[in-house]
Amino acid sequence: MKAETLSGDRLPGDKGVLWWKEHRGWHMDRCIVWFCIMGAVIVGITVLALANIAMKELADPAHLFKVAMSSEVIGSILLTFGAGANAVLLLVIFGTPLAYVLARSSPSRFKGAVESIVDIPLILPHTVAGLLVYLLFMRRGWLGAPLSEIGLAFEDAYPGTVVAMLFVASPFFINTMREGFEKVPTHLENVARTLGAGTFTTFRTVTLPLSLRHMFNGAILAWGRAIGEFAAVIMIAYYPFIISTLIYYSFTTDGIHTSRSIAFVVIVVSFAVFYLLRRMTRYLGRYDDRV
Amino acid sequence: MIEFDQVSLALGSFRLNDVSLTINRGDYYFIVGPSGAGKTVILEAIAGLHRPRRGRILLRGEEVTSLPPEKRRVALVYQDYSLFPHMSVIDNVGYGLRMQGMGRADARREVAGLLTEFGIAHLADRYPGTLSGGEQQRVALARAVAVKPDILLLDEPLSALDPITQEKFILDLQRLHREDDLTIVQVSHARREAHLLATRIAVIIDGSLVEEGEADVVLNRPRSREVASFVGIENILDGAVVRNEDGHATVDLGGQVFEAVTDAPAGEEVTLCIRSDDIVLWVPGSTRSSARNTMTGTITRVVENGPVAEVKVDCGVELTAVLTRRSVRDLSLTAGTPVTLSIKATAVHVIRG
Repeated sequence: MKAETLSGDRLPGDKGVLWWKEHRGWHMDRCIVWFCIMGAVIVGITVLALANIAMKELADPAHLFKVAMSSEVIGSILLTFGAGANAVLLLVIFGTPLAYVLARSSPSRFKGAVESIVDIPLILPHTVAGLLVYLLFMRRGWLGAPLSEIGLAFEDAYPGTVVAMLFVASPFFINTMREGFEKVPTHLENVARTLGAGTFTTFRTVTLPLSLRHMFNGAILAWGRAIGEFAAVIMIAYYPFIISTLIYYSFTTDGIHTSRSIAFVVIVVSFAVFYLLRRMTRYLGRYDDRV
Repeated sequence: MIEFDQVSLALGSFRLNDVSLTINRGDYYFIVGPSGAGKTVILEAIAGLHRPRRGRILLRGEEVTSLPPEKRRVALVYQDYSLFPHMSVIDNVGYGLRMQGMGRADARREVAGLLTEFGIAHLADRYPGTLSGGEQQRVALARAVAVKPDILLLDEPLSALDPITQEKFILDLQRLHREDDLTIVQVSHARREAHLLATRIAVIIDGSLVEEGEADVVLNRPRSREVASFVGIENILDGAVVRNEDGHATVDLGGQVFEAVTDAPAGEEVTLCIRSDDIVLWVPGSTRSSARNTMTGTITRVVENGPVAEVKVDCGVELTAVLTRRSVRDLSLTAGTPVTLSIKATAVHVIRG
């Protein structure tokens, strides 16, 4: 059996779970082969859908190029990605401490209640989530009213987009981050404390570095969820158009052809960005946990 | 130096009950007890990682019950070493110095000598995940002493090491205790470690302190049956004193009679504790010894364990004797061999009541 590391790195000569070596050469595990075939159904549906749209779009490259280069599409993609990044930044600032407290507190009714509240955006229909955000942040809302008095408006404004994205993406970040903190043994924190580190210094120098991988994964998941949001965002900020709104608007006004091209551009850009992010942060927070 | 004054604390369903103990400066203090008894909790309470619900903890004469761990100047080494996996060996060892405000470069310079002293200088830039158990243990110990604490807390530091590494580590601990004038508090299961290292011992069972005192006394002359059992006395037998003449008692164990030194009066029920290595076996026909307890029996089982062998003898009651394997071989001792067994009266420890 290969030595497990948190990073999942393989030892030299290890071909993974599917193959094992006998004296006559490499052999496949039948059970794993069947698992792969069944798993291929899920991957296959996605690949088919992507191939379908790609073939149609690549048949008319001039139109695709024109749509991709339009300032409306570029602006909307930048706005969507920017608002998503803003939402994730706020989640990192406010969600990380919450995730740590949830990871380190003993089971109790109060903790259970807080965990349920964190998970609410996961179980609500997106329109309901949007309505909740709207009612709270509209000009006469509990938070919207005082904030609009100091010049921070949410209805049909960028902050509204950010806050809707933050609401729906928060469980993805907080739950992933909490799992990361739970995996850091409390003994490490205890030792750091006895060596002279205060609570926050211990968090900063031991707990957080060992949870960076989870922080990154949580941020990616939350960002992906945020930029894909539609229903919750349009409830509070139909304008400015995020990419989902633009595709919907284009579909209802210009028809399938243009909206499909915008969708294809979004697919390509999103895939490229996520792939690049994964590559760039490949070694972030990885360490050998055979300690 | 370290004082627990009726300390009680609760952790989930576990309770530590009114524990009072005093650890003097320079002691090598062992806390022993079965798993889940609360030994590590006491260690962590000394370190400031648990706040007592009741009672006081004093370090160096000052009350520290509410003082956070980082201000107590005690170092802790866990059984699992708890090295920081994202830091190199040298950064692990220098962590405490950095927490005291030293720069990274200065801390690295400062601990370089310590790495040499512990024989781990060649591992300075390695990461913990690539080290063996013994190497990790040395790094953990070096990290603990790098901050020059006067109290060192060790949570079963030898349990995960192979016997050869254990021997080396015991020498390290003896050196540290002797040369660095450290007060060491160690949690352990192993009687051998206690024999080699401890000056005083506390026995904790179910969250309560059941016995505390000089290591030799607790290990060889415990006050209760449960402590006797825990410290590894192999032969614990219940009986009643039938006669006592000037502290020389005759104890009846349901037919088999033992002589022992105690002032327990006739009629009192007692428990006899006999160390297996205090038992001598004689083959029939050989010269009698001066031991006051001599009885015949039959060997029921011989279990070889390293250089020694445990020999079970049925002589009315079953007794366990530990002999060298050479003795077993020379005397041709096997199951079924009739033997004569003798025990000194002074080797029989009597627990009263």
